[in-house]
Amino acid sequence: MAKPRTYDREDFSRPLRRVLVGILVVALLAVFVLWRIDSPRVERFRTALVDKVVPSLAWAMGPVTKLSVMVENFQSYARLYEQNQQLREELQQMKAWKEAALQLEQKNARLLDLNNVRLDPMLTHVTGVVLADSGSPFRQSVLLNVGTRDGIQDGWATMDGIGLVGRISGVGNRTSRVILLTDSSSHIPVLVQPSGQKAVLSGDNSMLPPLEFLEHPDQIQPGDRVISTGDGNVFPAGLLVGQVAMGADKRLRVVLAADYERLEFLRVLRSYASAPITDIGALLVPLPPRTLPSGVQGPLMPDAGLPLADGANAATAPAVADGTTGARND
Amino acid sequence: MIRLWLGPLWVHRVIFLAVALILTFVRLLPLQTTAGHLPGPDLLVCVIFAWMVRRPEYLSALMIGVVVLSEDMLLMRPPGLWAALVLIGAEFIRARSALTRELSFGVEWLLVSGVIFAVTFANRTILGLAFVDQPAFGFSLMQIIWSILAYPAVVALSRYGLDLYKPAMGQVDALGRRM
Repeated sequence: MAKPRTYDREDFSRPLRRVLVGILVVALLAVFVLWRIDSPRVERFRTALVDKVVPSLAWAMGPVTKLSVMVENFQSYARLYEQNQQLREELQQMKAWKEAALQLEQKNARLLDLNNVRLDPMLTHVTGVVLADSGSPFRQSVLLNVGTRDGIQDGWATMDGIGLVGRISGVGNRTSRVILLTDSSSHIPVLVQPSGQKAVLSGDNSMLPPLEFLEHPDQIQPGDRVISTGDGNVFPAGLLVGQVAMGADKRLRVVLAADYERLEFLRVLRSYASAPITDIGALLVPLPPRTLPSGVQGPLMPDAGLPLADGANAATAPAVADGTTGARND
Repeated sequence: MIRLWLGPLWVHRVIFLAVALILTFVRLLPLQTTAGHLPGPDLLVCVIFAWMVRRPEYLSALMIGVVVLSEDMLLMRPPGLWAALVLIGAEFIRARSALTRELSFGVEWLLVSGVIFAVTFANRTILGLAFVDQPAFGFSLMQIIWSILAYPAVVALSRYGLDLYKPAMGQVDALGRRM
């Protein structure tokens, strides 16, 4: 007389639940493996997701950010007297610098006039507003509110008013991400003036990124200017990066010129790759003379006259080929 | 009113989603654009574990997976790995919910600290095996310590702010079912 066993709902649901959770964990790990194998595809998806989510939060982010900045500013009123003294001192120093700058400006203008220099007209910019940061102390990046619809492309340089800030990496329709120079994945070629040495500025998650691959570190003094170079077509040359400083660990580091405390508006420089020279000698060497027809002796001119130098065509500027229309809005 | 329509289960699920949204939103605010800051606590993980100890039925595995995965995506972390590990940690705590019900807060704190440490350590190990760049170990350790210190505060907020408590043995809910 076996008593019929009563089944509880738990008896069925618990093993089933365990299997489902297992499937979920495996699926999440599969996403990670997929990201590791085919990173660009997943990162494109991530960019698209951020492009959808963050601008829709912007209405709330703006006021909250402003409010917290206001609170911070209010706290600084407490140190008003100290700051006032400090500012007076700095003002004294600035007056001396201003005088020096005026003299240099006049000198510079004279020299430019002498050289008949024209600054690169292709280097125009788009200004974007910082929407969000990376949200993690391990990644240094910010999100701008300009994207492909404004003609932004991957790899363009980004500056604040003074110095280089970072590089565009990941463009959505309405947003684009700027990897800052302080991020540990940022490596850019730079030039140290006045010694003219080339180096690589590698971020390491600190405010003072180190200079690497210097040939003669002993020729470099703290205070030397660091500017970008056009090496490897990464950046336009000549953008101010910062000044050399000696770190506490005796490595040469760079004090960045851009004000990382207040990244609010950033300029994205439109940079276009210069036309690469692919065919060797086409610019200078004339066409080889044609072979003589049989039975004819002596020099023979080509039918179409002497060939012109092909350099006339190659020297014109390449056409602008990005999403922008002809008019520039800046 | 809403409590009548949805019941406490769905009210708390909606509250959890709102808390997760707010935490992510605050981290995304462009306030810390300078490098070299020491990391603070990972509050979302604290919230998940604290709720899991108290009311495991409020957090479904799918919800945890989706929420942490979307946080991975938005905060530029390697997607999926952290979500999977947090889910495993949460399920580990859920499997011991019958046990933790009778424990004092000190022992619970110890258990959760162990899980947080194990999850972070596993994350670093797997990232290392996959040759992914990661921050120095000190930073992770700092984050673990902050998370462990923040845990009692999260528990207190959940207990007194959201009325989330461990049901006593034999307690019944409004419909007379055993909790």
